[in-house]
Amino acid sequence: MRSRWWWLIAIVLAASESQAQSNGWNMPVGVTDVSSDIYGLHMTIFWICVVIGVVVFGAMFYSLFRYRHSKGAKAAHFHEHTSVEVLWTAIPILILVGMAVPATATLKNMYDSSNAELDVMITGQQWRWRYEYLGEDVAFTSNMSTPRAQISGEEARGEHYLLEVDEPLVLPINRKVRFLMTSDDVIHSWWVPDLAVKQDTIPGFINENWVKINEPGIYRGQCAELCGIDHGFMPVVVHAVEEEEFETWLAERKEAAEQEAMGVDREWEMAELLERGESVYQAICSSCHQAEGQGAPPAFPALANNEQLLSDVDWHLDKVINGVSGAAMPAFRSTLNPVELAAVVTYTRNAWGNETGDVVQPSEVAELIAQ
Amino acid sequence: MAPKLPPQPPLQHSSTAVADGQSHGHAAPPKGILRWLLTTNHKEIGSLYLIFSLTMFFIGGIFALVVRAELFQPGLQLVEPEFFNQMTTMHGLIMVFAAVMPAFTGLANWMIPLQIGAPDMALPRLNNFSFWLLPVAFTLLLSTLFMPGGGPNFGWTFYAPLSTTYAPPSTTFFILALHIAGISSILGAINIIATILNMRAPGMRLMDMPLFVWTWLITAFLLIAVMPVLAGVITMMLMDINFGTSFFDAAGGGDPVLFQHLFWFFGHPEVYIMILPAFGIVSAIIPTFARKPLFGYASMVYATAAIALLSFLVWAHHMFIVGLPLVAELFFMYSTMLIAVPTGVKVFNWVTTLFRGSISFESPMLFSLAFVVLFTIGGFSGLMLAIAPADFQYHDTYFVVAHFHYVLVPGAIFAIMAGVYYWLPKWTGHYPNERLAQWHFWFSIIGVNLTFFPMHFAGLAGMPRRIPDYALQFADFNLLSSIGAFFFGASQLLFVLGVILCIRGGKKAPAKAWEGAVDLEWTVPSPAPLHTFETPPVFHRTSH
Amino acid sequence: MWSVVKSVLAALIGVQSNQKREEDFSSGRPAAYLATGVVVTLLFVLLLIFLAMMAAR
Repeated sequence: MRSRWWWLIAIVLAASESQAQSNGWNMPVGVTDVSSDIYGLHMTIFWICVVIGVVVFGAMFYSLFRYRHSKGAKAAHFHEHTSVEVLWTAIPILILVGMAVPATATLKNMYDSSNAELDVMITGQQWRWRYEYLGEDVAFTSNMSTPRAQISGEEARGEHYLLEVDEPLVLPINRKVRFLMTSDDVIHSWWVPDLAVKQDTIPGFINENWVKINEPGIYRGQCAELCGIDHGFMPVVVHAVEEEEFETWLAERKEAAEQEAMGVDREWEMAELLERGESVYQAICSSCHQAEGQGAPPAFPALANNEQLLSDVDWHLDKVINGVSGAAMPAFRSTLNPVELAAVVTYTRNAWGNETGDVVQPSEVAELIAQ
Repeated sequence: MAPKLPPQPPLQHSSTAVADGQSHGHAAPPKGILRWLLTTNHKEIGSLYLIFSLTMFFIGGIFALVVRAELFQPGLQLVEPEFFNQMTTMHGLIMVFAAVMPAFTGLANWMIPLQIGAPDMALPRLNNFSFWLLPVAFTLLLSTLFMPGGGPNFGWTFYAPLSTTYAPPSTTFFILALHIAGISSILGAINIIATILNMRAPGMRLMDMPLFVWTWLITAFLLIAVMPVLAGVITMMLMDINFGTSFFDAAGGGDPVLFQHLFWFFGHPEVYIMILPAFGIVSAIIPTFARKPLFGYASMVYATAAIALLSFLVWAHHMFIVGLPLVAELFFMYSTMLIAVPTGVKVFNWVTTLFRGSISFESPMLFSLAFVVLFTIGGFSGLMLAIAPADFQYHDTYFVVAHFHYVLVPGAIFAIMAGVYYWLPKWTGHYPNERLAQWHFWFSIIGVNLTFFPMHFAGLAGMPRRIPDYALQFADFNLLSSIGAFFFGASQLLFVLGVILCIRGGKKAPAKAWEGAVDLEWTVPSPAPLHTFETPPVFHRTSH
Repeated sequence: MWSVVKSVLAALIGVQSNQKREEDFSSGRPAAYLATGVVVTLLFVLLLIFLAMMAAR
């Protein structure tokens, strides 16, 4: 029985030691006012539990020790005492009311997303995040960048194993940023512990949350709601930067987006498309259809040697652009731009033994989308 | 209210003693497998339930060990994520619906008639039917693992649309299996209510019933109230999958969040269905081994009823981060916090029962004491989870996993084991081997804490649930949990050994096997003959 | 009447003395207790909703 006391001591030590660390034993204090409020609530209710635990378990172990049958203890026969019972009902109620007041205040603050200076749309997709800076014409997807070889153990695992992405969400510090959150397929949950933001993204509905980051830095989290096979491989990385740096970054992204848009109209070489297509395929498609296009039937059909796909380029384009209703294949018309769509279709039709020689031009895709 | 006498069964054998009840009036039971297929005897059906539950406990446990083996260290070593998800899902489904619930029903079958002085359950044939539905349901459920596309892989909470539009083809079988299990539960609950309300010994009023009977009465009402909700929600899934409806599909005008409301309106009372009978068992054992009446019997009954009532008002605390309106968040936060009050009353009552008792530490008592301490720790983390703003950090992490495993493993399952050790002398006529039981206890308590305590830290540090692989900073916690899980799993073999040895022999137990025991089951011989209380006993009121 | 309400409130928080319970159970008016129980439960839910709405303002 004594071992339980060691647990308690361990908790207490762990709790007091790890206040400053974010990835130790305890909840991180985080880098927003809300996150430190939540941390405060967490520690308060934790210590209340510790005190109640010490009193209740103390009384229990005292009784167990003091009134042992083997030491000849004689049992008393009382079996009720109304005023004591009323007392130990009333005290917890008072404690709970005391806890409810600050919790209510924090919650109201968390729900107040008014007066935001920047809106970011976060869309969950199996199994990546898409970020769109509303009104800025900047949007991109963010995929896990940990190589599969690290997961299978063929390569040494890096410091940020499973918590690293190709394109982090970049946010300015000291500015209230509102998140509008939704999903294209199943329910995901966008979570960054240091920001104390965890919100389900639900297909067909838009949730709101907000953040105002106090310190620049890189903050990592991951999807918190089971969303299918690669639920564990859907990290979130937020790069919080000074406001000027953010403005510069945003301007660069805008310019790059314009460049890309111009690329739609020119004629692309097959080699260019294949190169671009392979990177798109590995980032977006391979999580379901697998690295070699072998798929995982019946949920995810094979693309290599898929006769229907190879015989009908229009059918192929339709499925990629518009998705397959009632199945896991999403519509990529808004997720990928025409260049990426054309590249990935061209790549799929010319990889892993698929030798159609078909080249799909971005301009054709742009036309299809416009229809 | 005048003391109401329950209707008495026709007194055909009014002069016979309980012990030789087998000999008259009953046709000789069929032999072999038919005997078990056709039995309508509450003791035999109780045994069937318990054996089924134990088998499923090990199957579900093996699934958990697959999960823990994969999580032993970072990286994917043993199983693919797809199979990992099937394992987490099946572990949850099997443990909830096939291990814990049938174990309590089995104990109810055995003990409720004995504790209220009834000759059998009120509806014996229905009783047979509700048991035999279970092997059908769970054979069907387990068979999905071998179907193309694999078994259910969307978690035991099967949130739509992952469980509808994006589900494997076997989901329809999963729905059917759950329907069958649900029918079994409802029929069992009806039977228990009918038995308790109609077949109590003359002179036994409701407020004279042992707490195990009381908690089961309330549990049975909960079951009848919420199993149809589960049936409704899985039928809606069935329609969405097979008949083109869009209850949960936003593209067709449906609402994925509606699924969660319906599921948790079933799911939260379900949590209490799995713990209230445990309260009843512990409330029988602690007074027995403290040799002192239970403190606050009336309060215990009232607190159980209050918990059952509140359980219908708190479901959305499982949904604090789905984007509920602020008012709803506050309502569910307040109502959830209030549950701590009657739960606290129970813990205080148990502790006060110990105070100034005369306490001995046989194995049923050890498991019950561990229940009180570890269930309370699970209650503490529950209280923390009730704080809605903090839940934004806790939700869907290993902190939640730690919380509900503390209330279910050293909570519900320890209580079941306590009950088994407590009543084995009555069932078999032999005491369980006490030394073996003590080893089982200490191994279990080390294993359970080693498995689940580090999960609190992993969750607080940021590890989400249901992931097959994890970042490096969670490695130490997972290593400990996995070692603990295998240790705990292996030590349950001692339990099986203890039960088998006890059935085969051991120290003979008298009718009243424990010095401090008071309830009616201790007035019949040990082992309890196949038919007991054919003549209703006269109930003498002890001071509760 | 007041005694019925008191008993129902006691049941709601889960504390009751044996003596008071004996009185309740010998009063011979279960319907009064049941009706009061339903009303008090509804009031309790309404009170919680009211509190939540007040707090959310």
